[in-house]
Amino acid sequence: MKEKITIPIGPQHPLLKEPLSLLIDISGEKVLGGNIRLGYVHRGIEKLAQTRNYVQNVHLIERVCGICSHVHTTTFCYAVEKLLGIETPERAQYIRALMCELERIHSHLLWLGILAKHIGLDTIFMHTWHDREMVLDIMEELSGGRVSHAVNKIGGVRIDLDADHGPMVARTLSTLREKIDALWEIIMHEPTIKARTLGVAPLSIEDIIKFGVVGPVARASGVDIDFRRDDPLPPYDRLDFSVVTHSEGDAWARTIVRVEEIQQSMKLCDQILQNIPAGPIDVRTSRKVPAGEVVVRAEAPRGELFYYLRSDGTEYPARLKIRTPSLTALSILPKQLAAIQVADIPVVVAGVDLCIACADR
Amino acid sequence: MHTIDIESLAVNIESEIGEPCRLREHIHNEQVLALPSRHLQRVVNILTERHGVQHLSTITAQIKEDAPDQIQLLYHFWKGTGISLLISLEKHNPTIDSIVAILPGADFYEREVAEMYGIHFNLRKHTPPLLLPENWNEGPPMLTERDNE
Repeated sequence: MKEKITIPIGPQHPLLKEPLSLLIDISGEKVLGGNIRLGYVHRGIEKLAQTRNYVQNVHLIERVCGICSHVHTTTFCYAVEKLLGIETPERAQYIRALMCELERIHSHLLWLGILAKHIGLDTIFMHTWHDREMVLDIMEELSGGRVSHAVNKIGGVRIDLDADHGPMVARTLSTLREKIDALWEIIMHEPTIKARTLGVAPLSIEDIIKFGVVGPVARASGVDIDFRRDDPLPPYDRLDFSVVTHSEGDAWARTIVRVEEIQQSMKLCDQILQNIPAGPIDVRTSRKVPAGEVVVRAEAPRGELFYYLRSDGTEYPARLKIRTPSLTALSILPKQLAAIQVADIPVVVAGVDLCIACADR
Repeated sequence: MHTIDIESLAVNIESEIGEPCRLREHIHNEQVLALPSRHLQRVVNILTERHGVQHLSTITAQIKEDAPDQIQLLYHFWKGTGISLLISLEKHNPTIDSIVAILPGADFYEREVAEMYGIHFNLRKHTPPLLLPENWNEGPPMLTERDNE
C-alpha cells in the first residue's frame, strides 16, 4: 500500500478558472477521495439583496454569475412580477427566452472548450471559444453587453429587437450550426476524446437523485429533468424542444448531452425569432412589492436555478434565497473523484461544469 | 412527470406522525406542509420512500418580522410541483435533525444554514463551514440586523 498524500488544488490553480479549494487524497496514481472548500468569491449577495431595493437588486443579481447572468435576472424578475401580480408582455417573454438560449449555447461552448483544453485538444478549445464569440457578438449587438447584458427589468425587458436584429441572429446561428455540425463529427470520431471520457467517473441515476444533481450532469445519467418543460416560465410552454438525456452517466455522456443541447437551443432560437409577437416590451410597476412569498425555478445552462423571495410590502426584499445548479454538482464531486486516476482529475473536475461564483454567491 | 397529490400526502403524514400536519398555501408556486421539527426525519423518509419525492432543491432559513424569536426553515422539495416542509425553531436554541443520511445532497445546504444562521444539526459529526472563512468569529452573518440605510 502506497503512502496517502493530500494534494491541495486551488484556491488559485491552472486547473481552475475560478477560486476553489480541492484537497485531493491520492495513493500512487489512484485518487482516494477529496474535500471541497468554497467561499473565495462569496459576496454575501443574499444579505446584500436585503439592503437594495428591487430595481437595484436586478443589477446586483446580474452579478451572481459571469456566464449565466441573464437567467439569474430572468428568474428574479419573474419572482418579483409574481408578487406584483403582473404579467410581462409576450414580446418581453420571447426576448428573455432568446437571451436565455443564447446564454446556454455560449455556456456549453465555453465548457466544451475547457474540457478539450484539459484533455490536450487545444485545437478544439480554440475552435469552440472562437465559435462562442459569435454568440457573444449577438448578445452584445442586442444588449450592448457581452457578460452583463442588463436586458431584464421588473415588468419586462430594457431592449427591443429591431428589424435588423432577427435576420442578423438567424444568419449568425446558421453559420454556427455548420460549425456545431462539424464539431459533432470531430467529437464522434476523434479517438482522444473517447479515450479520455468514455467510462470516466460514471454517476449512477441513484447517486444523481440522492445528491439532487440537476442539469446536463443529471441528464447524462438518464434523469429526465428540465425545468423549461417541467415547470416552464413563459414562453417555454409554447415552444417545441426535446429534453436530451443519455444513460451512460460518464464524462462522454456529459459531453454529448451538452452538444445536443446546443442544437436544441439553436432550434429554440429559430422558433423564438419566427414567433415573437409584436407589441410592448414592458409594463409600469410599483416600486413597493406587496407582502408575499414566491418560489421560482428556471433551467439555467447548468440546471435548476432556484429563487425564493419574500416581500414584507416595502421596496426591499425581506429574504432572497438563491440556490445555483453548480452547488449541486459540487456536492457530488468528492464521490466522483474517488477511485479515478490522478490524470483524470482535470476531466472530472471540468466535466461537471462548475461555476464557482454562482455557487458562492 | 408525475405530480404528487399534496392533500393525500398530508393525510398520510398526519396518520404516521399522529399529529396535525398543516397544509398552507402562502407561497406562490409551492405547496407548504408545516410540521414540528422533531418529525422532520420521519417525514423526509415518508416523502422519499413512499412518495418518491427525492429532489431537495435547497433549504431556506429566515427570521420573519412577526416571529423574531424563531428561525423558520423551509425544505424545498420538488416532484412535478414544489413541496416545502416548514419548520420553526427557537432562535435561542435552533437545533434540528440532519437529513444527510437520507439525502446526501442536503450536506451543503445544512452546512450553509448552520454557518449563516447558527443552526445545530443533530445526527451528523460536524458542519464544517461552507462559505465563511474557518477563522470567522463574528457570529452567523444572517442574524445581524437588516439596515436599509
